[in-house]
Amino acid sequence: MLKRPAAVLGLFESPRALLSAIELLRARGRWSLEAYTPYPVPGAEAALGLKRSPLAAMVLIMGSLGALTAYLFQWWMNSVDYPIVVGGKPVDAWQAYVPVLFEVTVLFAAFTAGLGMLLLLNRLPDFRHPLLSSKSAAALTRDKFGLALEPAEGPFDAGAAEAALREVGAEAVEVLNQPAPPAPVKPRTLLLLAAGGALACLAAGLGTYWTLKLFPALPPMSHMLEHPKLVPQKPSAFFKDGRGMQAGVPGTMARGRLPYPCKTEACASRLANPLPRAAEVLRKGRKAFDTSCAVCHGALANGRPLLSEAYGAKPADLQSSRFLSMEDGRIYHTLMTGKSAMPSFASSLTDDERWSLAHYLRALQRAQHAEDEDLR
Amino acid sequence: MSLLSLVTGLGALGAAAAYFAAGPERFWANWLLWQLLLLSAGLGSLFLVALEHLTDARWSIPLRRTAERTAGLLAPASAAMLAGLFALPVLYPWAHPGAALMPHGAAKSAWLSAPFFSARVVLCSALWLLAWRLLAGGSLEQDKTKAPALSVLARRFAPFFMALFALSVTTAAFDWLSSLEPEWYSDILGVYFFAGIFLAGLASVTLLAVHLIGAGRLPGVRFDHVYNLGGFLFAFTVFWSYIAFAQYLLMWYAHLPEEVFWYQRRLEGPWRTAALALAVFHFLIPFFALIPRDAKGDLPRLRWVAILLLGAHFLDLYWLIFPVLGPDPLFSWPEVSFALFFIGAALLWIRRSLAQGADMPIGDPRLEEGLAFRL
Amino acid sequence: MAPEATLSPASLDERVLSAAERKPPAAWWLALAAAASCMSLGFALMAYTLYMGIGAWGNNRPVVWAFDIINFVFWIGIGHAGTLISAILLLFRARWRNAISRTAEAMTLFAVVCAGLFPLIHLGRPWINFWLFPYPNQRGLWPNFRSPLIWDVFAVSTYFSVSLLFWYLGLVPDIASMRERARPGLRKLVLTVLSLGWRGEASHWRHYEKAYLLLAGLATGLVLSVHSVVSFDFAVSLVPGWHMTIFPPYFVAGAIFSGFAMVVLVLSVVRRTMRLEDIITPHHLEMMNKVILATSCLMAYSYLVEGFTAWYSMNPYLHHIFKQYLWGTYGWTGWTAIFCNCLIPQLFWSSRLRRSAPVMLFVAVAVLIGMWFERFVIIVISLHQDFLPSSWHLYEPTLVDYGILLGSFGLFFTLVLLFARLLPVIATTEMKAHLPREDAHA
Repeated sequence: MLKRPAAVLGLFESPRALLSAIELLRARGRWSLEAYTPYPVPGAEAALGLKRSPLAAMVLIMGSLGALTAYLFQWWMNSVDYPIVVGGKPVDAWQAYVPVLFEVTVLFAAFTAGLGMLLLLNRLPDFRHPLLSSKSAAALTRDKFGLALEPAEGPFDAGAAEAALREVGAEAVEVLNQPAPPAPVKPRTLLLLAAGGALACLAAGLGTYWTLKLFPALPPMSHMLEHPKLVPQKPSAFFKDGRGMQAGVPGTMARGRLPYPCKTEACASRLANPLPRAAEVLRKGRKAFDTSCAVCHGALANGRPLLSEAYGAKPADLQSSRFLSMEDGRIYHTLMTGKSAMPSFASSLTDDERWSLAHYLRALQRAQHAEDEDLR
Repeated sequence: MSLLSLVTGLGALGAAAAYFAAGPERFWANWLLWQLLLLSAGLGSLFLVALEHLTDARWSIPLRRTAERTAGLLAPASAAMLAGLFALPVLYPWAHPGAALMPHGAAKSAWLSAPFFSARVVLCSALWLLAWRLLAGGSLEQDKTKAPALSVLARRFAPFFMALFALSVTTAAFDWLSSLEPEWYSDILGVYFFAGIFLAGLASVTLLAVHLIGAGRLPGVRFDHVYNLGGFLFAFTVFWSYIAFAQYLLMWYAHLPEEVFWYQRRLEGPWRTAALALAVFHFLIPFFALIPRDAKGDLPRLRWVAILLLGAHFLDLYWLIFPVLGPDPLFSWPEVSFALFFIGAALLWIRRSLAQGADMPIGDPRLEEGLAFRL
Repeated sequence: MAPEATLSPASLDERVLSAAERKPPAAWWLALAAAASCMSLGFALMAYTLYMGIGAWGNNRPVVWAFDIINFVFWIGIGHAGTLISAILLLFRARWRNAISRTAEAMTLFAVVCAGLFPLIHLGRPWINFWLFPYPNQRGLWPNFRSPLIWDVFAVSTYFSVSLLFWYLGLVPDIASMRERARPGLRKLVLTVLSLGWRGEASHWRHYEKAYLLLAGLATGLVLSVHSVVSFDFAVSLVPGWHMTIFPPYFVAGAIFSGFAMVVLVLSVVRRTMRLEDIITPHHLEMMNKVILATSCLMAYSYLVEGFTAWYSMNPYLHHIFKQYLWGTYGWTGWTAIFCNCLIPQLFWSSRLRRSAPVMLFVAVAVLIGMWFERFVIIVISLHQDFLPSSWHLYEPTLVDYGILLGSFGLFFTLVLLFARLLPVIATTEMKAHLPREDAHA
């Protein structure tokens, strides 16, 4: 195949020689010029008439975009989609988003500057450029300064370009040829490549499958999971009787849990509510009621559960006359022992909470059976 | 009598009237603000001079006389600070007549006592004036003698000045600003004050340089030289914002009562607007105005950015000092009078110094090198 | 500079780029063997830690952060010098950076690699470290962006990627030179791909220079932010001695300080062993020593202001912990930090000592030791006596702790040694542009 000249390259000794050559040849206007230098030569841009790099504007735009992205994703993740209060700060506290915002801005801007320059503006990587296969490439990356003439338009007279370069003082001149067009790919090669790819995919898939099959859910480092510890509902070799949970030592009691003397409702009805009927107590009782009782007995204690019909059970209507006259002590007793379907709240509520609950229930009942004087 | 002297005199009358009409507290708060603003312009310029000597910078030699002239504001600033000592019993709770029993111990009471405080103020002022005398006075002398030894002397002195400068600026920040609320403490305050001071100094130098270039008094000063000033302004705008935000973020995050009340006072109610204005004028506008490369050497733009930054530094000091007077920002004729008086006096002072010596350090053996500087 | 006058672009290439083409000397193999052994030991102990759990270390309540975080802060600090030299000094047009920037940037990367290991292994279950990144998952959870530890993840990973990019960008033209020197073969192929077919076109250089300047500006902000974010790990807390508003700038100053010490240490060995004394001249080292002196003074200032403010605050917890820094059980570490960071570098006030190779090495090593102990002071001493005296506890590192610390040095020097043989240790392209020429400034 015939080689076609793409450009003619002349080598110069110094940046100054290069610049003066550019000036002389640009004046003639027959060629488009391109310089190749081992390092950036000040003044070359101006001499070649290159426009200013648009990179700064690109970086500014992408940096702003980065800032916006970072703020929005943090705000959406931590203030909208999964809002949690940390350190008593408002959920949309912008202050805490600033560090990550800054980092992401820099990340966007820096990658635009670096990769945008290499890939977008300079169109690298490019391994087929004629210069790379020229004899002068080594000198041009070391200490020589090259000037290539390409035809501005029309057919290229390499001889004239060569002569012009020598005239302006080039030490050596070389004709750069068009890169040979890539050879057409044969169907057989394509088939082979496709078959190879399919085989590789198959091997990777089978490999993954068998790895998972042979080593199911292998915990990477199980050592930390295997230390001696108590597992609920499982025997333990630590105590003599083989139980994990131990009954309390006779004669001791747990902190905050007073012994409860009553076995019967009659006994309990004689207990007096130790708490005063104060706003603080009612607030506590309301919290306990809303947490533990409202789901079945209803927020107004009228026996209409918050749950759906499918729940099925018939919770007691605490507004009925039976409960209006029930003593606080019996309410307390029911909470301690539970009744028919209702479980015991001995462990999930504290002593104070149970007594406050009784007070709060009274308030609920009074609200539903208000008399004229209550409204005054 | 020129217009400038007239305006200054008017301002002085207004300020004096403010003492009786608006009360001593407001008078001294204004005084404190303006003494620190003068100090910032002067000391910041002096720091720039010392920095140039220290790093052996070439670009700045043609502009050094300009910085030495704005550094001259140290003299009126020192005088104002000595007068400002009368503010102690008015503004500072630890110096109130009945403040013998502050919650902090005897040692801190000794540190925050009028005699010791005054001694520190006098010592720091003396140090700054001495340094100014050595650096700027030496440079003026060099105009006549052309002795290179003076450059060497300045260069030798610069690092020691830097060390003492760091300590004295921190002391000034803790004394004049932090002890307005003696329970409050922040160890970054010295750096914060330094950032503000240096920015104000740079802005004053830039302003004067732009003026002198416009008047044709700095021949040979090109884009390349001014670009560096613009770059410094840009860099220290960012630095100030970084320091200010770092202090705010840490105190906001930790939310310790002994620290955070300081910010509450300055971020709630009408003061919130002042804080937001600070973010806009001290950071956003100058930052974006100076981002483009050409902007850093563009004289008209540098002029308004420098004026803006000086205004922002005023706002910064206002925001630091005035909240102790009350929950509402005070701004009316007393503040304007003080501004007229101090700006007028500063300009008069600068005008006087413009008549002394050459406009460039003509005695510096490296002036030629400086003029030949290329980016 | 007089010593550079004899250099020409061709001889510079010959001297610097040929290192990768020769067989390394025996001393290099010995050094590599030593470094790689330490590295292997470190990796083995890290694997042991993963298997046994963090209990293999001395960390225990209340000192839950110890060697892991000390080493992290130490190494990330070392990394700051490279970016400082390549970015900030570029913006300040300090020409002396050209000879040292490449090695310093490489050290940045290697130090960040070392630093990144520590938070990773201290997680205890590093195989789920991806939980730190915001990715949509079926648990419906997001990381907590109000936590400084997440800020750290973003800061350190951004820092690593941007430093890598910056370093690579500087390398591209140099690799192109190496490509042209290489004989056809695998090496040439690799170099061709790595250089992306760079050909030094004028229209490319115009974008390249702009990109380099922009990256320098961005990296300057980044370098300030990264160590500030590291300092936030401590300073946003309530622990006395950690919650200090000066931490962000003070950490940055300390980082530059220790980083420069490491650069001086490595370069004074590299220039001697690779015979680059006339390229990396005493002038370059002297300038770095001046920066060390300046940052040492900044450290002294920070210590002073911290101590003063602790006293001025009249906060009993602060008073107590600052007494512990100097007169507690670990008081000797506090004195070591002060002595090595504030006093020893003062030797550099004398220009003769600034240029003396043994003094330089001594100071550099002292600074590295001092800065490591400074982080020990901040982390261990502040933690070991917290608000509740009943939980006070002394900390004692285990052999595993020491081994991993040694391993991180092994990793760092292994990477440095490989770099010195495989890639140009001097930024030849940049050097060439500033070599004095007959027709310079024409």
